[in-house]
Amino acid sequence: MAVATGSAPPPPSEVPLLYRRGVRRLLTQGIYVAITAVVIGYVYTSLDLREFGFGFLNEPAAFKVGNQWLVDVDGVTNSRITMYLVGVWSSLRAVLVAIALSTVIGVLVGVARLSSNWLVAQMAMLYVEIFRNTPLLVQVVLVYTILLIGAPLIENVVNVGDFFFISNRGMAMPWPVPDEGFWNAPIWFVGVWVAALIAMAVVAGRVRAQRQERERETGQPQYGNRWALGVFALGAVVSFFALGAPVSMDEPMIVGTHYIEGMVMEPEFTALVAGLTLYTSAFIAEIVRGGIQALPRGQTEAANAVGLSGYQRLTLVILPQALRQIIPSVTNQYLNINKNSSLAYAVLYDDLFRVANIVQNKAGHALEMFFVIIVTYMLISFAISVVMNFFNARVTAQRI
Amino acid sequence: MVDMPAQNPQRIVLPPHRERARRPRIVRFREWARRNLFNSRAGTLLTIITAAILALLIYGVVYFVFVDANWRVITENRWLLFAGGYPMDQEWRLWFSVMFVFLLIGLTYGTWASLGRRDHLFIVLASGFAVLLLAHGGAAIWSTIWYLIAVGLLYAGYAITIRMPREAGPGRTVQQRSVAGLLIAALPIVLIVLLAFGGARPRELEGFVLNLVLAPVGIAGGLILAIPLALGRASRMRAISWTCTTYIEVVRGAPLLGWLFVALFILDDVIGGELIVRAMVVLAVFTAAYMAEYIRGALQALPHGQSEAAHAVGLNQFQSMQLIVMPQALRISIPPMVGQAISIWKDTTLVTVILPLRELKGNADSAIAQFEFTPDRIEAYVFVAVIFWVVAFIMSRISQRVEGSLGIGER
Repeated sequence: MAVATGSAPPPPSEVPLLYRRGVRRLLTQGIYVAITAVVIGYVYTSLDLREFGFGFLNEPAAFKVGNQWLVDVDGVTNSRITMYLVGVWSSLRAVLVAIALSTVIGVLVGVARLSSNWLVAQMAMLYVEIFRNTPLLVQVVLVYTILLIGAPLIENVVNVGDFFFISNRGMAMPWPVPDEGFWNAPIWFVGVWVAALIAMAVVAGRVRAQRQERERETGQPQYGNRWALGVFALGAVVSFFALGAPVSMDEPMIVGTHYIEGMVMEPEFTALVAGLTLYTSAFIAEIVRGGIQALPRGQTEAANAVGLSGYQRLTLVILPQALRQIIPSVTNQYLNINKNSSLAYAVLYDDLFRVANIVQNKAGHALEMFFVIIVTYMLISFAISVVMNFFNARVTAQRI
Repeated sequence: MVDMPAQNPQRIVLPPHRERARRPRIVRFREWARRNLFNSRAGTLLTIITAAILALLIYGVVYFVFVDANWRVITENRWLLFAGGYPMDQEWRLWFSVMFVFLLIGLTYGTWASLGRRDHLFIVLASGFAVLLLAHGGAAIWSTIWYLIAVGLLYAGYAITIRMPREAGPGRTVQQRSVAGLLIAALPIVLIVLLAFGGARPRELEGFVLNLVLAPVGIAGGLILAIPLALGRASRMRAISWTCTTYIEVVRGAPLLGWLFVALFILDDVIGGELIVRAMVVLAVFTAAYMAEYIRGALQALPHGQSEAAHAVGLNQFQSMQLIVMPQALRISIPPMVGQAISIWKDTTLVTVILPLRELKGNADSAIAQFEFTPDRIEAYVFVAVIFWVVAFIMSRISQRVEGSLGIGER
C-alpha cells in the first residue's frame, strides 16, 4: 500500500485504538445495528399486533370468486385459504400465458426491428414506442373497455358453427373432458397414456441421436429433429386411440345470458393477458434487439459467407449467441409479469391479489394478508428464476 | 487508365457515396426503395403485406379520431382531468409551475444539448395539441395564453443558454452549477408554489397534477435513499450489507400495488399522516430498491483501478467515494435510471387502483361515470394513454440528448 513513500505501515499495536480498522468496523456496525433496532422497534410497537395470527384463513369464506377454471368452489363451504389458492391458480394461468405470448411476440418484434425491410423495421419501432411508454394499467383497462363495448352483446352472439362463440361475455370454445371410457376411470387412462408418452419420448430421442450420427458420418442432412417430432406425434396419437380415446369435447352452450360448459375465456382474463403481453413484449423486443446488436458484425458476415439463408442465420448463428445476453434481462421481465399481474384488480379478474383484498375487507388482518401476498409473489418469482437459471446454464454451458 | 480524370478536366470524380449523392433525388429514392423495400421477392411481399396492415391501421385511427370518437368527454371535463379537486381560484399556481418547468427544460437543453429539427417539430405538435385541448370551446382562453407564454419561456431560456460559450471555464462552471441547482431546487419550489401560502391542501392534488407531483417525489426520494442503499449493499460490513440486501429484495419481491396496500392499511398505524403523503413515501421506498440495484451495477462496472488510484493519490475512503467513484457510477447508471423514472411515471396510475386517490386515470373514470359520457369510455382512456405517452416520450428524449452530450456509453 504505502510502498511509494518507502515506509512500512506501523505495526497494529502502535495504531490508536479508535483508528484500527477492525475496531472502526465494529463501532460502525454497532451504531448501525442500534439505529436499525430502534426503527424496527418503533414500527413493531406502533403496529396493532394483539390479534396477530393466521387462524382467520381457515374460517368459511362467504364470498364468491369468478374466473375459475378446472376448479369449482362456491365459497360457502370453502375456507378463505382455499379461495386464496383459487386466486393463485388464476394468477398463475394469466402469468404463464402472458409469458409465452410476450416471448413469442417480443422476439418477433425485436428481430423485425433490425429487419432490412425499412417499413417492417419502422412498424416494429412504432409498436415498441407505443406500448413501452404508456401505463400498463391504461392498456389493460383500455383492452377491457374495448372488449366490453366492441364485442356484441350475448343476445347477438357471434356463433361459429355452434361450437365457438364471441360476445362481450368472452369467448367460449370446446374443451376436452375425460369421460367414462377406458377402464371406467379417466385416471387410469391418464396414467397409462402418460407412461406411453414417456416411452415415445425415449424412442424419439433414440431416433434423433441415430439420425444425427448418420448425418455426421455421411454429411447428408438427415432431419433428426423432424423425425423425432414425427415419431413422437405418431406415437402419441396412436396410443391415444389405442387406449379408446376416452375423452370427449365439451361443447359450450348459451343458456339465457350465460355460457355453460366448454372453456370460456372471459374478457377480464383476455384483457389482463393482452395488456401484460403488449406491454412486456415491447420490452422484450428491445432486449432482443440489444442482444443481437451486441454481437460482432462478423457473425452475420460469416453466416452469409458459408451460405446460410436468412432464417438459418437467425436461428443457428445469431439467436443462440444473443441468448447469453438476452436471458438474464428477459428473466427480469418475466418477474415483472408476475408482479404486474396484480393489475388484475383493475379489471376485477379474481387473481391472488384481489382475493387477498376481499379476504382483508371481510376479516381485517391486513398485516397477515400482506405477508401472505408477498410470500406468494416471492415463491412464484423464485420458481421463474429457477427455471430461467436452468436455461441460462444450458445456454452459457458452451464457452465461446 | 491512370490519367483518366485528366481526360475530362471539368468533371471531378468524387468518392462513390458523393457520386451517388449527385444523381437526381427521384433516382436516389428509387434506389433506396429497391434496397430497403423491394430487395427480393419475399421482401416485396413483406412490404406489401405490411403496407396493407399499416393502411388499415391508419384508416382505423383516423376514422376513430375524426369520425367515431366523441371528444366532448375530454373537453367538457378538462378541469376534472387535469386538476380535479384543486381550488379553481388558485389556478395561477398551476400555471406558474408549468412556466417554471418549461423554462427549466429550455435552460437544460441550452446548457447540455441542443434542439434539433425533430425537437422543434415535437414542441410545435405538442403545443398544437395542447392549444386545441385548451382553446376548444373558447372557455379557457387565458389558459391558452398562459400555456403559450410557457412555451415562449422554454425558447427564451434555450436562447439565452445556447449562446453562452461551451468551452470549459469559470463562466461555464457557473452556468452549469446554477442550472443544476435550479433543477435540484425545482421540486421543492413547485411543491411550495402549489401547496404553501394559501395554496391547496395535499389531498386536493388530483388529476394530472397528482401524477406530475407523485412521480418526481418518488424519483427524487428514491434517488436519495438509493445511494446509501447501494453503498450499503456493496459494503464489506456484514450487518450493513445484509440489511440493505434484505430491504432491496423484499421491496422488489412484492408488486407496487402490494406496497400501496401497505400504505393504505398498515402505514396508517406507523407513520400516520395524510394518505397522499403515505403514497409518496411508498413510491420513494419502492423506487429506491430498484435504483439501488442500478447504482450497484454501475459500481461493479467501474474498473477497480479507479478507487485504487484514488487511494494512491492519498484520498481517504469518503473522498474517493465522493470525488472519484460516485460521479462515475452515477453517470454510468443514468440510462437505466431514466428507464426506472419512466416506469415510476407510468406507475403513478396505480394509486387509483386501490387507494382513494384520483390521478388522471382515476379522474377519467369519474368523467365517464357521468351518465352523459358513459358511451365514451374508449375515448377517455385513449386520451389518458396519449398524455402519458407524451410525457414519457419527453423524458426519454431529454435523457437521450443529455446522455449524448455527456458522452455516456462512450469511453
